[in-house]
Amino acid sequence: MNIDALIEYITTTPLTWLLLTLGAFKFGIIVYEKSNKQTLLQPIIVSYLIIMSVILLTGTTYEEYFKGVEIIHFFLGPATVALALPLYNNLKHVKLLFIPILITLFVAGVFSILIAISLLWLFGAELPTILSMTTKSITAPIAIITSEQIGAIPSLAVGFVIITGIIGALLGTAIFKMLNIKYDTSKGFALGLISHGIGTARAIEISEKAAAFSALAMGLGGIMTAVFLPLIIQMVFE
Amino acid sequence: MLKGIITLLSFQFLGECISKLFSLLVPGPVIGMVLLLLFLIIRKSSFISLDNAVSIHLRYLPLLFIPAAMGIITQVDIITKEFWAILFSLVLGTIIALMFASKLMDYLTVRQEKKDEY
Repeated sequence: MNIDALIEYITTTPLTWLLLTLGAFKFGIIVYEKSNKQTLLQPIIVSYLIIMSVILLTGTTYEEYFKGVEIIHFFLGPATVALALPLYNNLKHVKLLFIPILITLFVAGVFSILIAISLLWLFGAELPTILSMTTKSITAPIAIITSEQIGAIPSLAVGFVIITGIIGALLGTAIFKMLNIKYDTSKGFALGLISHGIGTARAIEISEKAAAFSALAMGLGGIMTAVFLPLIIQMVFE
Repeated sequence: MLKGIITLLSFQFLGECISKLFSLLVPGPVIGMVLLLLFLIIRKSSFISLDNAVSIHLRYLPLLFIPAAMGIITQVDIITKEFWAILFSLVLGTIIALMFASKLMDYLTVRQEKKDEY
């Protein structure tokens, strides 16, 4: 038996990291479903912690890990294009509340970015962190490619996206109750606009209408941010 | 499903090409997404093969951002240094933004409903 050759293979093949990542994610899904879909036990969180532990324990560098799972990363592109379909399916709702949707999309979308970066600035954070915070409310695939575009740190940006999603999903219902929000459409739209996919998963539990408006807000908010944010940032830094 | 996958990849490819050709700042896949949306609006419906290709991409969406998200292990310095700023911004910022967005949408909806009554 050639143990050395075996170890050599395991430590160098991309399959090791690919299998670990897929396996950990599958495990994450099982945990999430067994826990009755607890927001804090999102598949991504459980799998993330497992993979991170293995990387740190084996002293693997991020570059080595990334090389193994680059093929997964590639699918962010087609997945972003795929977001057009849920948006298309919910587009008919735009007609119903055209003006409220348009105004909320722009005003609340801009407000959400401004409040987050002002708080960061107030607490003395530096530019890379501030830039990475600007994509926090949009769906992760668009956030990753947009943050690459604006010179932010994509990994930080995804982290902020996920945490923003979880906070919205956890506190959304309480906030709506406190503020006496009347319409499910408002609840759904706010959840999708601020807390993207994780917020939309929560909106599904409120009602079908809330879910539709959440998906709508997530799609429109993602496009709006990806189109205008790089332009604005370029203007500011020129 | 192959037709659906080819559709998604073609729109991404088209989007990236347009982005490069006109030196746009908008990421190529987002242009592809908008083009696919326009295509569906013009076509007035989706097709099964596309539905399947989309659902397989979106069903495991969180899996797709693990590679990028894992880069956080190279950002430990920033996170430890700016931990409180990040935490406040995320928690407070998200709560305030949710309040603002839901209240604004509700207010505008009520106004529209009133107008529709007259």
